[in-house]
Amino acid sequence: VHALADVTGETLRSWRQSKGWDVPRMARELRKAARDSGEDVAAHHGLVKMIPQWERGGRAPRERYKLLYLKVFGDIARDLSPGMALGTDFAIRLAEVRSRAARLPGPEEIKALEAAALAKPRESMTPAQIRSRAAETITHLHEVATKLAELSALLGDDGDKS
Amino acid sequence: MSARDDEIRRVVAELDVHVAKVEADLAVLKALLADDEVPAEEDLS
Repeated sequence: VHALADVTGETLRSWRQSKGWDVPRMARELRKAARDSGEDVAAHHGLVKMIPQWERGGRAPRERYKLLYLKVFGDIARDLSPGMALGTDFAIRLAEVRSRAARLPGPEEIKALEAAALAKPRESMTPAQIRSRAAETITHLHEVATKLAELSALLGDDGDKS
Repeated sequence: MSARDDEIRRVVAELDVHVAKVEADLAVLKALLADDEVPAEEDLS
């Protein structure tokens, strides 16, 4: 994902300053973007310490933090760095897909939906079809979990939450 | 583009497909519940 490799500390600072945000505000925005995606990130005070380090270039943010930056600054990233557009768009797509995945219900909720649907007789769908649809949904849900794990491994999401 | 980038793109594309299928299936199940369709036979008496 070239967009991520191309983001320097100086770029991160210029994006933040272009919004007129101080570091604590930047930390809040990153945490908000993470919450929207259903992801865990460092506590506010941890981010307040890490952001200046990232901006000075003394320490590189992990890719999941860069993805959060791209989510927060997607439009600016495209405007300021046209050459990064393809990569930036992909990074934003990645964040969106992860966000959609995070909003999916768990298998228990799907089983509850199935039970509720079975309790109300329908002409449009037989009980066998309802069971089949629910089972298929849970199968795809497991595939989603597998792919999310693969993605986390590829992106190095290994718990840099401090 | 590196092999790792290709791999990330492939996994994201597959993830997108599976998420879309779950979303579609959920929409069908929820529509069943939302739809005030025909009452059960015993209600027609």
